Amino acid sequence: MPDSRRFLHPEAIKRIARLDLRARYVVEGFLSGVHRSPYFGQSVEFLQHREYTRGDDLRRIDWKVWAKQDRYYLKQYEEDTNLRATLLVDVSASMRYGAGPLNKFEYGATVACSLAYLLLRQQDAVGCVSFDSAARVSVPQRSQRHHLEAIIQALEVSAPENKTDLGRILRHVAESYPRRGLLVLVSDLLVNRPELFKGLAMLRQRGFDIMLFHILDDDELDFPFSGATRFDGLEVPERLTCNPRALREGYLEALNKYLEEIRHGCARRAIDYAMLRTSQPLDAPLAAFVSSRQRGSRSTSK
Amino acid sequence: MPTFAHPALLWGLALLSLPVLIHLINLVRQRHVPWAAMEFLLVSQRKNSSWIRFRELLLLALRMAAVAGVVLALAQPLLNHEIGFRFGRQKTHLIVLLDDSFSMSDRQSDTSAWDRGKQAIQQIGEDAALRSSPHSFTLLRYSRARGALGSRPDLLEESIDSGFGSRLGKLLGETPVSQLAVGPRPALEAAEKLLDSSAGDSVTLYLVTDFRTRDWDEPAELVRLLERLNQRNVRLQLIACAETRHANLAVAALQPDFGTRAAAVPVPMEIRVNNFSDEPARDVTIALEEDGVARAPVRFDEIPAGASQSQKFASYFATAGQHVVSARLVGDAVALDNARWHVLDLPLKVPALIIDGNAESREARFLATLFAPGGAVKTGIDPSIEPPSFLNDHPLDGYRSIYLLNVGRLDHVAVDALEKYVHAGGGLGIFMGDRPQVDFYNKQLYRNGQGFFPLPLAGATRLLVDRLDKAPDLEVTDHPVFKVFLLNGMKALDTVTVERFFAAMPGWKPARDSQTQIIARLRNGSPLAVEKIFGAGRVLAVMTTAGPVWNNWARDPSFVVAMLQMQAYLATRPGSGHDRVVGTPIEFKLDPARYERQMKLLPPEADPLGPRTLQATSGPQEMTVTIDEPDASGIYELQLTRMGSGVELRRWAVNVDADEGDLALLGSRELAERLEPVKYEYWQAGHFSGNRQELAGTDLTDWVLYLLIAILIGEQALAYVASYHPPAAERQGR
Repeated sequence: MPDSRRFLHPEAIKRIARLDLRARYVVEGFLSGVHRSPYFGQSVEFLQHREYTRGDDLRRIDWKVWAKQDRYYLKQYEEDTNLRATLLVDVSASMRYGAGPLNKFEYGATVACSLAYLLLRQQDAVGCVSFDSAARVSVPQRSQRHHLEAIIQALEVSAPENKTDLGRILRHVAESYPRRGLLVLVSDLLVNRPELFKGLAMLRQRGFDIMLFHILDDDELDFPFSGATRFDGLEVPERLTCNPRALREGYLEALNKYLEEIRHGCARRAIDYAMLRTSQPLDAPLAAFVSSRQRGSRSTSK
Repeated sequence: MPTFAHPALLWGLALLSLPVLIHLINLVRQRHVPWAAMEFLLVSQRKNSSWIRFRELLLLALRMAAVAGVVLALAQPLLNHEIGFRFGRQKTHLIVLLDDSFSMSDRQSDTSAWDRGKQAIQQIGEDAALRSSPHSFTLLRYSRARGALGSRPDLLEESIDSGFGSRLGKLLGETPVSQLAVGPRPALEAAEKLLDSSAGDSVTLYLVTDFRTRDWDEPAELVRLLERLNQRNVRLQLIACAETRHANLAVAALQPDFGTRAAAVPVPMEIRVNNFSDEPARDVTIALEEDGVARAPVRFDEIPAGASQSQKFASYFATAGQHVVSARLVGDAVALDNARWHVLDLPLKVPALIIDGNAESREARFLATLFAPGGAVKTGIDPSIEPPSFLNDHPLDGYRSIYLLNVGRLDHVAVDALEKYVHAGGGLGIFMGDRPQVDFYNKQLYRNGQGFFPLPLAGATRLLVDRLDKAPDLEVTDHPVFKVFLLNGMKALDTVTVERFFAAMPGWKPARDSQTQIIARLRNGSPLAVEKIFGAGRVLAVMTTAGPVWNNWARDPSFVVAMLQMQAYLATRPGSGHDRVVGTPIEFKLDPARYERQMKLLPPEADPLGPRTLQATSGPQEMTVTIDEPDASGIYELQLTRMGSGVELRRWAVNVDADEGDLALLGSRELAERLEPVKYEYWQAGHFSGNRQELAGTDLTDWVLYLLIAILIGEQALAYVASYHPPAAERQGR
């Protein structure tokens, strides 16, 4: 695993310009590391046979059973029954920040694409919505392999700008996707918390599984600045000229309080939460995702 | 109020704006970061802003204080003894004794001991001017502490104000080094007298000198003087201006040698050069001039280290009168002792009076022929033969030498005239014969040693012939008259025989410390030639005849040589060839009937007073003219106006004391040994700064430095607290 992980570091990913290649690289790298995983192929595994009823897709009839028994049975797989995933990717101005190889947006887009690739590889349906103050590009849920291109296009055209209005987006999703499914939110969550939690709660009520990837840059988490610095707000008009060393303690205190609030809010609403540093290898979100899905399926089978 | 040793450095306080400037520059150069998580930053800022501002202002103040501390420490703040002055109003009197003897002109590259000394004095003055307490300043040069006029300080208790530094600088700039060779004693004595007027004042005495060994060779009196100053609570500061000993050559003497000095006769001259250094001097060439015309130079192949060497040469002047011979060597550390002058006062002829007791004057003619053989031979001597009665009624002043040949006795008048003549510097030669009366000679001329005749006579006697004894009849000493016979083992006198002579009183011997000496003896030990210094003159008595009567000497060629030497010796006034030294007054008499009272003096160019008119002080018989301060070496020329018409010139050569050119230095340790138990502080002029603290009060520099250290520690601590220091693990990780 350490060998394959070496190639999943943001420095390595940065060298790959195309998002689809990135996603493929990340996922293949990830899978090559976890090929012994008991979860591999779980969702595409054969679940049961069901007798044909009118209206079923003729392509799914198990002709071997018909040849033996002269009766029509359908072969039913788990993925077909459950997974419709929607990727919600934050492309607001705050996502533009990044001091490492990948900024928050690039990192988030790579994570989203990788998940899309992984899901499409399992023939799950994946849709994508990029948003800032409103939904900028919406890609409907499809399970075809080539659907990845549409998702990538949606992310590539979305240069980060504008302010985030997550409450509005979550309402939009709730309205646009009546069928419940998995909702993967990729954002830095620098938003109004009550609205965020209100939106998430609403989606949970409608039966959505929510997986929250909280992406933050190392600088935001560690605040290592020194020397006279002027901070210009990316989404707010405020400017602050200060000696960052003097403010660091107070900053970290406020940040930790905020992270705690997010974590606590997600836990209360049974939302899977993973905080990602932009310096982390990109298998981390995939591992977090797979692990969360496993927990989800176990809880479902129970 | 504190004052500062270097107030100009206070401009450095402008650097106080440096921390603010750095802050402003940082503001201009600040980093711009587009930042997403403004929310937390603003929270932190709201929470901490007042404390941060306070801390930053404190840091700024500490940094400005640190800059101020550095500047103040460099400017050396001094706290005046205000309290002391307020209560006592004690005045401080600074007495500076400046050695301006010419060894101070010792020069190397572009600076000299004199310059260093002046710089030190300038500093003393400027330091004192910084003080608000009352100070007075006295500057006395060595050269102005001597002489009959008493001390004449350049500045006498001048009160020090803010403009004093520039006044002092101007005065020192205009003051040249003198050509004198004066030691510290007159100046110290003058300073002691000055103390009387400073009773109650705090006195600091600075001795700014080059500490040449010769000035401190006899320190006993100086130590007593300095101890007296110590007892009067005078603070002594000795400032040494010379750093190293430099090599120096000095023309130590230029004078006529022994011989006849007359016009148209080569005048033998002697030049002596001293090498005051640790290395031998090679190929030393001395340029010579006669009346301003260059002649062949004199060259010394080698003068050993610390030694003196002389050479002889002859100067020739065709005309009578005063002629100037000068010598000069090429430049070295001290320029003033490189030149020397001499004025030769040459008569056309040197008159010699020969008195013969025998009316036939055979011996006199014999001697006169010897002195003036005639023809092409020139001796410069003009002999005249007279009977003894001539002495009674003729002035003798005009004769350079007088010879008494076989004179039996003389009148009182003649004896008195001769005594006066010799006493005034004349030369008298006395030869015996069959006429001299022992009684007269012993009672009238010898007078128990009081008269001019050098020995008591016993009577004429015969020198016994000893055929076995091969010793020559004459034994001469190295007296100038006979010296020539001793050179190169000459045996010129071996063939001389003396048959008769006048014996000295049995048992007579010249007293050890008397002015009488036997310069030639006979084989039997009897004195043959005896010299007596009488007053300013000399008497040479020869106990045999001047002609070939009692001896065969007069027929021997050595007699010619001996007589010419004797004539040269007697005709030379003792001390007449000696130099006049710079600073020694020149005094001479004039006949008021012949000369006007007013006269013009043309001194050498370097004379500080320049050409001037002198007024003779008249007495009943004669006028006295005094040149008080011949303070430059060279030729002093006096233009005398004769009564009636015509101008007469008199010249004097004035030379520096060549010994002052000895630049041997006394180190601080040797000085301390010689000055034991005097309490003093010793400084090298280049490093002199010692009095600043004493002058200006308590030096606060140390306190400022301690404060500065405290400020810097505080600043560092505050800066550490106010800044971000990631934990070690985090630093490694990143």
